[in-house]
Amino acid sequence: MTELLTGLSQEVVSGIALGCIYALVALGFTLIYRATEVVNFAQGELMMVGAYVNFFLVSRISANLGITGAWMYFIAFMGALLFAIIFGIILDLVINRPLRDQPVFSVIMATISISIILRALVAMIAGPFTHIQSSPFGDGVVSFNKIAISVQDVFIIFCAIVLVILFYIFFRKSRWGVAMQATSADPTAAQLMGIPVKKVYRLVWIFATLVATVGGILLAPKTLLDTNIGFIGLKAFPAAVLGGFGSVPGAIFGGVILGIIETISAGTLSYHFAWIKEINDVIPWLVLIAVLMVKPDGIFGIAKVKKV
Amino acid sequence: MLKLVGVETFYGKVKALHGVSLEVQKGQLVCILGANGAGKTTILKTISGLVSPEMGTVRFEGRRIDQMDPEEIVALGISHVPEGRRIFPELTVYENLLMGGFLIESGDLLRERLEATYDHFPLLKKRRHQLAGTLSGGEQQMLAISRALMLKPKLLLMDEPSLGLSPLLVRNIFRTIRRLHESGVTILLVEQNVNLALQIADYGYVLSNGKIFISGTYEELIEEEKVREYYLGEGKYIRRSRLWSG
Repeated sequence: MTELLTGLSQEVVSGIALGCIYALVALGFTLIYRATEVVNFAQGELMMVGAYVNFFLVSRISANLGITGAWMYFIAFMGALLFAIIFGIILDLVINRPLRDQPVFSVIMATISISIILRALVAMIAGPFTHIQSSPFGDGVVSFNKIAISVQDVFIIFCAIVLVILFYIFFRKSRWGVAMQATSADPTAAQLMGIPVKKVYRLVWIFATLVATVGGILLAPKTLLDTNIGFIGLKAFPAAVLGGFGSVPGAIFGGVILGIIETISAGTLSYHFAWIKEINDVIPWLVLIAVLMVKPDGIFGIAKVKKV
Repeated sequence: MLKLVGVETFYGKVKALHGVSLEVQKGQLVCILGANGAGKTTILKTISGLVSPEMGTVRFEGRRIDQMDPEEIVALGISHVPEGRRIFPELTVYENLLMGGFLIESGDLLRERLEATYDHFPLLKKRRHQLAGTLSGGEQQMLAISRALMLKPKLLLMDEPSLGLSPLLVRNIFRTIRRLHESGVTILLVEQNVNLALQIADYGYVLSNGKIFISGTYEELIEEEKVREYYLGEGKYIRRSRLWSG
């Protein structure tokens, strides 16, 4: 019995770390959806691009500049964030601005095309190989009682918490953060206040790219790096819906819950019931359907009445 | 101060304004009257830059503003209280006012304006940490007006401030508008409540099917038979559609 409990708590902890990554991708979905009512289906690919840029920078910095160790990772991390900012601005220019007055549907189609283009482009530039991204923390492990957590996982949870707190402070306390909320609630009224709505949208895309990039950098050492890791978006999406699409706490909560469910079902449950192993990929969706049957707007969702 | 000449505005292929010309002098309270769909709201939207005219010019203090972005026009000193109030329901009253003062760079000035607003509308001060969506209709209208006043505009555009309010509150709002006018704010008002509007306005334009149909002072308009017929309920017959829309 204690063995089962130790196993479960071990899985919960790694699940939280995995879930934090889902949460970051889901946060990207949420930010863009809140501001522009567009579901950005390229969110997972943004994460993949971020992971690749980081990988490229890490290898270049050690090969060309001869910097290794913590500084190498730190400089690459900063470089990838800088890239994310520029990339966000480009995406805003390519997707958001030209399609501003078009139906939301067209913009969603554009994000799907961008996701395919990005996957193909990265495969062309980086080659169709699978890379191994080393973790700045090596194989370091911290243990409490019998539960062992890799330092990478601790770092993931730490980063996610810091990002969420930063976002919270930004949205609640800063002028631009409140302006972003105002713009997502009513862009026309926001324009009448003198809020430069175009700049706000650009900022939204930058933020979404930034969280995706951080998610990608954190995820890469946990898995192998190839162009398909962007499909994690397919898990972050139910996470966002589960929490209540468009809700920031919902995205985080939904991500963490899905992460925990996934590790437990792949671990303990699959060990005891062989058939669970077969349906592992479907489980997030099953959970989603079950939750939506009880709460159609997701856990943190508020039923919205559209006023005409 | 504000001058529209031959303004034609389209929504897609539909022409909403067929060459509208009107003028607002500094310190005036000018009123635009007209039936639903006559294009009153479109005039205000054209002035504040939410839609751009295809033809004609809009000048504010001698400067052409018809191709400017809304945020540039706000910065010039034109604030717009839109139809249906359009407050941000999920932000607090304080945050709504903060957004009204978005263009104010100095923190001291912003605090000063906030205090002034709270002095004018003590109720808003009491409710400042409440979500704006929980306010009553009249309170929301107060918030919408004070939000637009945060920038101390030279010209205030108001779109049907009395819409959906009880008669008592309507009188209240009109008292506020008159007070604003007396304190020196130039106002361009769109209103359905013709009697009240003409009582406080210096000058009125009557709009019909996207064209200025007639214009004049309160006395002139009240004498005009057609205006009486259409708007003051003294016509020989009332069109059925108007009977139901009130």
